[in-house]
Amino acid sequence: MSPQRQSPEPPDATLVRRFLDGDEAPFRALYERHTPRLRMLLHRLLGRDRHELDDVVQEVWIAASRGAHAYRGDAKFGTWLASIGVRMVYARLSRRARDDAELTDDIPSPPDGGPATVIDLERAIAALPDHQRVVVVLHDVEGFTHAEIAEQLGIAPGTSKATLSRARHALRRALTEGVTNAT
Amino acid sequence: MRHEDDTPIPEYDADLNALFDVLPREAPGDTRAADRLVVRLRHEGFFARRARRLQWPIAVAAAVLLVVLGAWGGWTAGRRGSLEEMLARNDLTVADRVLLLQRAGSAYVIAAQSYASATARTDTTAIEVASRVLLGAAHAVARNHLDAGVAARLTSVLQPSATSPKPTIWF
Repeated sequence: MSPQRQSPEPPDATLVRRFLDGDEAPFRALYERHTPRLRMLLHRLLGRDRHELDDVVQEVWIAASRGAHAYRGDAKFGTWLASIGVRMVYARLSRRARDDAELTDDIPSPPDGGPATVIDLERAIAALPDHQRVVVVLHDVEGFTHAEIAEQLGIAPGTSKATLSRARHALRRALTEGVTNAT
Repeated sequence: MRHEDDTPIPEYDADLNALFDVLPREAPGDTRAADRLVVRLRHEGFFARRARRLQWPIAVAAAVLLVVLGAWGGWTAGRRGSLEEMLARNDLTVADRVLLLQRAGSAYVIAAQSYASATARTDTTAIEVASRVLLGAAHAVARNHLDAGVAARLTSVLQPSATSPKPTIWF
């Protein structure tokens, strides 16, 4: 018996075009396809402000919908959507202008004596100063290059590298010294 | 002074790299969030084509309804002041009834003129009808002696023989 052949899902560019024609179903398809990854990215970028996650996700989709006519399909839709989310979160964080040192003090320690876990890493990332957290998430988790990060955040690539350097030091300190302090 | 590009970036150890590799990449959300988003986008004017699809049958139905209501309204308004409708009413004042009498009389005269214009030969039936209507009207007024003798004079003019009265035709 031959396996049942499923019709291939339409590419993002096609769905965007049909959405711009006024169809709701393609928009829902895009939403279901890309929202889980977008949520995870925004969740990490927001750090302590993750309670705003649902609002930010909605705002990103609204911004993407308003600007969908500008999406030409030369980049992956998920990347394009993520860049909107990154810029939106970064603008929020910049407006808030929290004191980095204040947050650095709040980096939690891992459980006593044991090796760091994924949960510890998530906590340590969440507790990083805003700018460091954004760069770590984009570079070390999402895999963006410094040039791409610089373009999205409106900073120099060198600034991205320097921020990543500080962030990695802070992360290592949080995940190792925390254990040391606890023992 | 060292440029930021020259900043050495420390590498993670293998354990930390492994943790980064297994970090979850997706987070499921509230299934109703899509519905809320669609509602909000619709308020902003998105999904207009679907709205247009729904609009044209509604517009056709509204047009048909308007035509039906207009026809019914026109028919009702037309009947409201008609002679037949006024004749059927029993709530008219005396002044209204005098006016009605005048309208009905005018209609009678117009009908008679129309008949006269339409034919060139004498028709006894038409003459009979015309005179009986006139007599009937005169007698109706005369019932309560309100006609100041008009009925009697008409009778003498229109009836060939007062000794053989014929039944009044009422219209």
